[in-house]
Amino acid sequence: MQTEDLITSLTQNLPPVRRASSPSALLLRWLLITAPVLVLVVWIMGPLPSLTTQITQPRFIRAELLAGVTCLVSAYAAFSAGRPDEPAWKLWLPFIAFGLWLAELGRQCFVLSVQTKGAALVLHTDFMCIPAIALAGLIPALAMVWFLRRRAAFRLTHASLCGAMAAAAAAEVALPLFHAAETMMMVLVWQMGSVVLFTMFAAACGRFILTKPAII
Amino acid sequence: MVDEDPNWRVWMVAAQAGDARAYAALLGAALPWLRRRARSRWPYSNAADIEDMVQETLLALHQNRHLYDPTRPLAPFLFGILKLRGADVRRRRQRHAGHETAIEDVPVTFSGLITNETQESDSDRAVMLAAIAELSERDRMVLELLKVRQLSLREAATQTGMSIVALKVATFRAMQRLKAVMKGSHPDAN
Repeated sequence: MQTEDLITSLTQNLPPVRRASSPSALLLRWLLITAPVLVLVVWIMGPLPSLTTQITQPRFIRAELLAGVTCLVSAYAAFSAGRPDEPAWKLWLPFIAFGLWLAELGRQCFVLSVQTKGAALVLHTDFMCIPAIALAGLIPALAMVWFLRRRAAFRLTHASLCGAMAAAAAAEVALPLFHAAETMMMVLVWQMGSVVLFTMFAAACGRFILTKPAII
Repeated sequence: MVDEDPNWRVWMVAAQAGDARAYAALLGAALPWLRRRARSRWPYSNAADIEDMVQETLLALHQNRHLYDPTRPLAPFLFGILKLRGADVRRRRQRHAGHETAIEDVPVTFSGLITNETQESDSDRAVMLAAIAELSERDRMVLELLKVRQLSLREAATQTGMSIVALKVATFRAMQRLKAVMKGSHPDAN
């Protein structure tokens, strides 16, 4: 088909379209769903008895803040990825945030291991982390899929990867409030491992989830 | 993106509202710009690929008109689509290139491209009919019903009065004898 003919056919019977919301508006809507869900999950699971003392510790606050920033930046990048005119730096910002978060946890792990003469490096199996993060991140992830299916048209793999990272990071913000890890090493391996696992899974099958006929 | 006509944004906003004339004006004005940008981004692509990239861009623009934000210039939006869809076209081409052989100039005596649709099947059919003729009456009947006319076992059983199991056995033996004949040995040899 000649391109001029294509233009003629495209311009026939042109229906008006409703403008898509901006990434920041979508982020706000997603947060309006995610934040109450996380509060509800913490309330149902029961907050840790030591939570009041923990939230005064700078290392706890730093880890929570970095998890929160990763969550927000990832969600924003997920909504931006679906638009063709968004600059590349916005799309790669979540990886910087995630790297900083991981580095902070690694630093805490190192400092604590020196202070406790290696006790912070003890690693047990803690399979509870995976279902706990999946449970806390389920509704945020489903909300993310719902928004992305209606708005994202480009870079679907990147959008789903960032979306999954946002949902997993949101779950990771809530997790330390109701589930205590015994050592820092367990936080790094089991909790961060779960975040990476869910993110990789979403990246692998994100295009399928975002383009197949609606299931939600 | 300094080469954007200020009218583009106005036309695009009107197109979002359903104004077909403004949309036609926009696409007509953007077409040479898109071709130029595609050629400068992928200088080694041939003209057909460049045109494919431009067409894919126009289609993607049409399907995603709602994503355009009128507070922003249109050229980065168009160029963003061109980059993404152009990369898709190139990936598709590279994937298919491994299965294709480009033939630049075919000599007039080249026989590789002559189509020969029926000759082989005709000769195979003639050999098989000759082999079937050498079989017994019963083998010919079984093969005729089940292999040539492709009746089901139940239908063939009804026509011949044989049981289904007997038909299966008779078909198996008839096929064995047919193979033997086609290989050149006597049908009763096995």
